[in-house]
Amino acid sequence: MAGAPDALTLKRHRDMEGRRWWVQARRVLLVLLAVVLVAALFNVFGQRPHTSIAAAPRASLKVYAPVHARSGVVYAARFHITARQDIKDAFLVLDPGWAEGYTVNGLAPQPLTEADRNGRLAYGFGHIPAGQSLIFFMSLQVNPTNVGHRSQNVELDDGETHILTIHRTITIFP
Amino acid sequence: MDIVPRAVVAYVFILFLMRVVGRRELSSMEPSDVILLVVIGDLVQNGVTQSDYSITGIVLAAGTIGLLATLTAYATFRSSRIRNVVEGEPVILVEDGKLIERNMKNERLTLDEVMEQARLQQGVESLGDVRWAVLETSGSISIVKKE
Repeated sequence: MAGAPDALTLKRHRDMEGRRWWVQARRVLLVLLAVVLVAALFNVFGQRPHTSIAAAPRASLKVYAPVHARSGVVYAARFHITARQDIKDAFLVLDPGWAEGYTVNGLAPQPLTEADRNGRLAYGFGHIPAGQSLIFFMSLQVNPTNVGHRSQNVELDDGETHILTIHRTITIFP
Repeated sequence: MDIVPRAVVAYVFILFLMRVVGRRELSSMEPSDVILLVVIGDLVQNGVTQSDYSITGIVLAAGTIGLLATLTAYATFRSSRIRNVVEGEPVILVEDGKLIERNMKNERLTLDEVMEQARLQQGVESLGDVRWAVLETSGSISIVKKE
């Protein structure tokens, strides 16, 4: 029996001498790939919404929005205010992280006022009677260049009076 | 322009994926292989250019991939070690009419696939007539029949 074809050696290309590690390495890399995919199923990379809740004697606030997302994805954030006492001039004050690196596709219902409050976005909704609720939606799209962590705190005020704050951070993957 | 790093990441990831999934998928065209190769192209395009429809975007993305392909080819030409990592090495599947079972198993190849290539390339009817069958780095199987 002659030797292997030119440029091949029996030890290396038939018996896999010095190459067996690659068979194992390939299996390990495939498992690692599967781990990343399973992590995605568990929302590690978003964008399943997460509910954040804060309550105060005067009102409660629920924010239902992802805390992990990826560049380019479209989602809606839901803000649910429940007034336990009369709120004469309700304001949702959002960190700039709610708008920076995003395209804001729409707000519903349209706030009565939109303003800046010391570098944050202030949406005014007017009077919410005791026992009543207000639900506000923001339709957002993450811009492709928006990557990393951003603070997305949400504050509920009555005029200039602070009622409560929800502390949130969003992580955006490339 | 983040389109350049995106293209670099896409190139490196696809290279990694192709090496990890194995050579069989590179050349065979079974239904699952067609899905892998066709779908990857579309998915990668979305991730690289995103909503950029500009000519500049095309130039940057295609230019980056082209440059990386050239650099990879140059590196594999210059260094056998890099070539082994990037392209892999041939694997002998049949020697003198005898299957190397362990290599067939590692590459997830069946006797049917080897014999198909033997018939197509050399008109060989029996495994006993195959002198060498080698899984090449391209994913194709080359057949040398007995004299």
